[in-house]
Formats: sequence, C-alpha cells, structure tokens
Amino acid sequence: MNHAAVLAGRAVLAAALLGIWEALPRLGIADPELLPPFTVAAATALEMFARPSLRADLWVTTLELLAAVAIALPAGTLLGLLLAESERLARIFDPLIFFLFSIPKSIFLPMFILTMGIGFWQKVAFGVFSTVFIVLMSAAAAVRSVRPDHVFVARAFGASPVQIAWRVYLPSMLPILLEGLRLAVIFGFTAVLLAEMYASRTGMGHQIASWGENFMMDRLFAGVLLLSVIAIVVNETIRAVEARCGHWRQ
Amino acid sequence: MSQTLAPDAAAAAADAAPIVSVTGLGHVYPSREGPVHALADISLEVGQGKFVVIVGPSGCGKSSLLMMLAGLRHQSEGAILCDGRPMSDPDPDRVGVVFQEANLFPWLTAIENVAFPLALRKVPRAERQARAAAMLELVGLADARGRYPHELSGGMKQRVSIARGLVQNPKVLLMDEPFAALDEQTRMAMGEELLRIWSETGKTVVFVTHSLTEAVYLADEVLVMSARPGRIIDRVAVPLPRPRTYAMMASPVFGALRERIWQQIRASAR
Repeated sequence: MNHAAVLAGRAVLAAALLGIWEALPRLGIADPELLPPFTVAAATALEMFARPSLRADLWVTTLELLAAVAIALPAGTLLGLLLAESERLARIFDPLIFFLFSIPKSIFLPMFILTMGIGFWQKVAFGVFSTVFIVLMSAAAAVRSVRPDHVFVARAFGASPVQIAWRVYLPSMLPILLEGLRLAVIFGFTAVLLAEMYASRTGMGHQIASWGENFMMDRLFAGVLLLSVIAIVVNETIRAVEARCGHWRQ
Repeated sequence: MSQTLAPDAAAAAADAAPIVSVTGLGHVYPSREGPVHALADISLEVGQGKFVVIVGPSGCGKSSLLMMLAGLRHQSEGAILCDGRPMSDPDPDRVGVVFQEANLFPWLTAIENVAFPLALRKVPRAERQARAAAMLELVGLADARGRYPHELSGGMKQRVSIARGLVQNPKVLLMDEPFAALDEQTRMAMGEELLRIWSETGKTVVFVTHSLTEAVYLADEVLVMSARPGRIIDRVAVPLPRPRTYAMMASPVFGALRERIWQQIRASAR
C-alpha cells in the first residue's frame, strides 16, 4: 500500500470516529447531557482556550510536567548509568528498582499530599516519583545496548575515554534514551494530572475534576480535547527526533 | 616440535628491515581452572611491505597475538616492536586494524566511518572528507559514500573497514579474519581486491585466517601456529609469483604448500 493510500485511510478512520461521536447524541442514541456532540465540545474548547484563566491552568500543568521531566531525566539517567556500569551496585539495587517500578505510583499520592501540601512542588515531586524509574530503566537498557566491539574498534583507533563516551556511547544510546524520554513524558503527564484531580486549586486536572463533579460535560470534553492535542503534539515531536537519531537501528 | 626455517623464508625475511618484530612473546592469563598458557615463545619478524599470514587451529591465540600487535592487549612476557618502538597502546599512525565483523558504526555513513579515525585526531573537516573519499575510491566504493552500513553488503562493509584501517596511512595493516563471515565467492573476490590494494599502497599486512587456501593465495610467508599454548611451529615461504591468480590455486606448488600447512596443524591439534 502506498503512502497516500495509508494517509487517506487514516483520514477516513478519524472522520468516522468523530462522525460517530457527533451522530450518537444528535440522533438521540446517547444522552447529549452526558455526551455532547464533537462540534459542541470543539467549539467550547476554542472558546475556553481564548480565556486567560484557562490558559493559566494549562500553563500550570505544563510547567509542572516540564519541571518533573527536567528533574527526573538527569537524575534517572545518572542512576541508570551507575547501575549499568557497576555490576555490584546493579546486583544490590536491581530488585528494589524492579519492585518500585511495578508498584502503581498513585497509591503513594496521599503521602505526597500529607508531606508536601497541594501546591506546585507536590505535583512536581509526584511527577518525578512517577517517571524517574522509567528513565532509570531505559538509561540502563541504553548503556547495555552499547556493543563492546564498537568500543573496542574506537579504542583500536586511539579514542580517549571521553571520545568513546561522546562518539560511541552517546549515539548508540540516543534512540533508547529518547524512547525513555517519551514514555517519561506520557507517565509524567498522567501523574501530574492525577495529582491535580485528587487535590489542587489550579491546573487542568483540577478543572476537569470540578467540571465532572458539576456535570459540565461540554467543558469536560473540551478539556479532554485540549489535553489530547497537547499530549499528541509532544509525543509526536519526540518520536520525530527519535526517528532521526535512530534510523540506523534495524 | 619442528622449527625448520625454510631457506627461502629466511631470505624473504632478510631482504627488508623488519617493520614488526616480536621476540620471546608469551601470554598467560588467570582462569577458574588456574593459569592458562595462551601463547608461548613467539618470535617473528615482518619485513617492510610484506604480506604475512598467520594460520592455526581454533583457540590457538592467533587473534590474541594480532590484538597484541595492535596494542589492544598486553602480553605477559616478551617484546613487540613496531617501526622500532614498543606497542604498548593502540597507535593508529603505525597500525591500522580490520576486524572479523566489519564493525562499522551503524549511525555513520560509509565516508563518516572511514573518516572516524581522523575525527578522533581532530583533523580538519575538509581534509578528513578528502582523505576518506580517496580511501573509498581505493577500495572501489566511491559511489557508496553516503550509504549507511545496513545499506551495504557484507563485502562492501569489509571494504569500508579496510578503507578505515588505511585512512591514517599506517605502516602496518593488521587483519583479523576479515573475510571469515563472507560467503565463498565474495571471499575470493575480496582476497583478490585486497592484493590489489596491498600492491597499490605498499603496506605491510599481517593477516590472520582459518582458511589455508586463503593463506597460501595471499601470503609471502605463512606462519603456522600450534594448538594452545600457541607457538609458531612452521614458517612457510610462498614462492608463487605475483600478481597471484586463481589459476595458481590448481598448481602443484600451491597444493603442496597447503598440504604441508595442513599436516602441521593436524599434528599439533592431536
């Protein structure tokens, strides 16, 4: 199948899904009070987006996410490098990290609130806690993906340790690191929104929770649309960079 | 243990000053079952511009020996001199290396791979490009400069690897079973190609292989190693004229040399 046909197929699929969303409440199959039509939700989204208060909420959520990723990324990468390079550390810490990785982070949220309140940094901290293990594991996997024979070749041509790090380790690891970053952003977004929905006075999560509680379904769906657009744009951007840096992996 | 030095081998070694000289090299490494004697009492000289091939049974340490010549591993005893100085660390100005798997960096294009050793030495970009392009031309891959390794065939990858080994203009090219992973036909063609490159550049080549046919076809002199601990048990001069041709493989001289090497290896492996 050629590229144009695939694109056409995708467009048809998207139109069909949105069409069903539009049709269900319009035809009275779904209750419009519960499921407002797509066009209504989209119009509400545009109208809300023009409001400074909503932009402030979007901005708070975005900042929390950025701060969480900005802390989790270097911290997790550093820990991952340590574990991948030190056999002894890895043998001691691996089980602990696997356990922490497997526990749903949401059950710790009340403790974050009790210790840190419901402000900006509590959400950042919970975001870091939810993402750092993903970054750590992908950094360790990235280091382990570096082929020893590539390092050997670089040594044979007289590469210094710094040159080996820069010219062999980094390009080898970059695709996996970027994949880790992408997952970290997805999980970080989830964590920040969850923390906002659970207890907060600001942010998109807080708004979505209160629209739901107050039965303002058109706004709720508008919020879902706005957040979806943000998530998709961020995700696709990282994926594009990933593809550029990882085209050689096959 | 036969230490017969064929008269013509002695002559071949004497007619040029040695560029590589190894004296009394031995190697012992520790293992769970106690120390392993990998190499013992190895002395050899390689004259300038010569093509020397090392053969021996699997595990005889011939690749280890080559890695020591490259300065990538350290022997426990004995001395290695290359161009008059010890090889304690890798030195790409004296020695270029071609590995068994081409081991190109998959994230670099063919020309970037060839230029890699120059980039390490911070050679200016324009000069790097020019020299790498010239090397790709030499190995017959001028058209493939922008391709990535996954877009190249096995033989092409090895050509890129040879170009990378030569780009710093080293005195000696060390090749560790470079064609072992290639199919028979590609392997034959690469052997011929290597001899052309060798005669055009005048480099000294030390080449490790499993293949006796390849050894006799390529070499001025074949060094035969025994099973562990690896020693040099025979030095076979190959008096076939150059340029070598495939037809020579059918000649009685070729067959006799191959038979002699095979008998040595078989006896040592028992």
